[in-house]
Amino acid sequence: MASVTMEGYNSARTVIGEAIADIGDKDERVWLLTPDVGFGCKDFKEKHPDRFIDTGIAEQDVVGVSSGLAYDGNMPYIIGMMPFMSMRALEQVRTDVCYPNLPVRIIANYSGLTGNGGSTHYAMEDMALYSSLVNMTVCAASDPVQLRQIISGSLTYEGPMSIRIDPGKSNRIIYNEKKDRFTIGKGYTACEGKDLTIIACGEMVDYALQLQEKAASEGLSIRVIDMFTIKPLDEDLVCKAAEETGRIVVWEDHLMKNGLASAVADTLMDHMINVKSFKRFGIPQVYPGFGSAEELYHRYGYDLDAVWNYVKGLF
Amino acid sequence: MADKKEVLRLQELAHQARVNLVKLCGAYNGSIHMGGDMSTIDVLTCLFHHTMHISPALQDDPERDRFILSKGHGAVCMYIIMALKGFFDYQEICDTYGKEGSKFGQHPCKMRLPMLDASTGSLGHGLPIAAGLAASARQKGQKHRVFCLMGDGETCEGSVWEAAMLAHAQRLGNLVAVVDRNKQFMTSYSEDSMRMEPYADKWRAFGWHVIEIADGNDMTQVVDALEHLPAPESDSPTMIVANTTKGKNISFMEKQINWHAGSLNKEDMQVALGDLEKVIEQQRKEL
Repeated sequence: MASVTMEGYNSARTVIGEAIADIGDKDERVWLLTPDVGFGCKDFKEKHPDRFIDTGIAEQDVVGVSSGLAYDGNMPYIIGMMPFMSMRALEQVRTDVCYPNLPVRIIANYSGLTGNGGSTHYAMEDMALYSSLVNMTVCAASDPVQLRQIISGSLTYEGPMSIRIDPGKSNRIIYNEKKDRFTIGKGYTACEGKDLTIIACGEMVDYALQLQEKAASEGLSIRVIDMFTIKPLDEDLVCKAAEETGRIVVWEDHLMKNGLASAVADTLMDHMINVKSFKRFGIPQVYPGFGSAEELYHRYGYDLDAVWNYVKGLF
Repeated sequence: MADKKEVLRLQELAHQARVNLVKLCGAYNGSIHMGGDMSTIDVLTCLFHHTMHISPALQDDPERDRFILSKGHGAVCMYIIMALKGFFDYQEICDTYGKEGSKFGQHPCKMRLPMLDASTGSLGHGLPIAAGLAASARQKGQKHRVFCLMGDGETCEGSVWEAAMLAHAQRLGNLVAVVDRNKQFMTSYSEDSMRMEPYADKWRAFGWHVIEIADGNDMTQVVDALEHLPAPESDSPTMIVANTTKGKNISFMEKQINWHAGSLNKEDMQVALGDLEKVIEQQRKEL
């Protein structure tokens, strides 16, 4: 068995690298910056060295410099690690990017309990923090096909954006490159169903689809919405799902409070929609420690079995 | 040596800016950052009225110089100096400053004043933004400079030094930073809190070309320093350390912690205006 090198460890980042190099070819406004997370940057750096900056491990700086570039008409993409992009650089993101509403794009990995880096290296709060910023659009990609489309769509999208991804070693390809189309700001109904809706994002969409298959074999019809844009939330799709299926499960690899589930709950309350059941699955109030993502999802009660047991119990 | 007539002209402008600021501070029912405004006003006047390639008519010129007021609390001082250059109307600043819906407030907002190059106010943010603007100019093959004015206190922020490293690494010779080294923070003297000396050496160690102004409130020295910038095509960013006095030229404000910011009553405003008159008369005689 071959050794796994740092580069081979990052399949999603390769997708990012290709996608950004592509848009860099098409549009001279595109810059690529990284605070020393440069694996996916190789293609772009080779093709457009004059529009590439590695700031070293300096998240505040990478955002500030991107702000300056964007003030001058450019469209900077940052590849970084989400725990640090969302916390170390939060004020720069808020004040230097969101306040002037500049088209800076932050693509960052180690989202949720992925990567086994321990609690310093998990981004559990990023969707909550970024969602609270005026003008910010918050995305969570669930597979490489979708990620590629979000990145190409970002070229014509206004204002600041963040895109969270996992480290990507063993991403399952969920979507079909030719058939599935994703629009930033719209949820994607990955599977229709009438008994219950699972609204998921990022890593958890794959599990939601596995759960849906399991449920179908037992006669349950589960709708799966891939809510890859957390903000602005596709409220129409949430309301429709609540009205049509009457039961909502929200599933995210993020603190279960203040992330996607909270946004969905806000929407249901704002529209005065009564549901028969509402349940959130995600990270409880803990600093989770070490373990593989699968182990941690199990330990903290939001793995496939935990959600399936809950769903089964409803019917 | 700086041209005497030009120094005299700039001195008069700086004096006018001080007078305008004192009058606004007397009229405005709130706090103005007088201490740091008075320390930086000579450098800022020289930048806007002598050094930088800028004017209202040049606004759309892609190769006009850019300016980032990293010490954003110096906004009103900048508005007043820009008004003397024809960017704004001084009376409008006085009539609307800090009021709901005003373009002119405590920290510069590019959303309200599109001719500015960035919205600033949170300290330590300006230098990274300026570095981004400088990198963009380089990539586009443009020849202008990017200036960034910082207070010495804000250089306690780590983000300043992240950008200091980057500007050296990217060889941004088109970037000129000025530090208003008045040796006072908001609530303490800098050397009591942070022992910042040897200050200029810190920038030298980061690979910057450093110019020190012994007295950054002496217009002859300020002009001299700013006339000796390396070409924007050069390889090293430039740091101007302007040693200044907080509250400069107003007797009861100079070096006073209490006058970081404040509001002037009628009597104190008259004393301040009298102080300024004495100083400018002396300066006129000397030149």
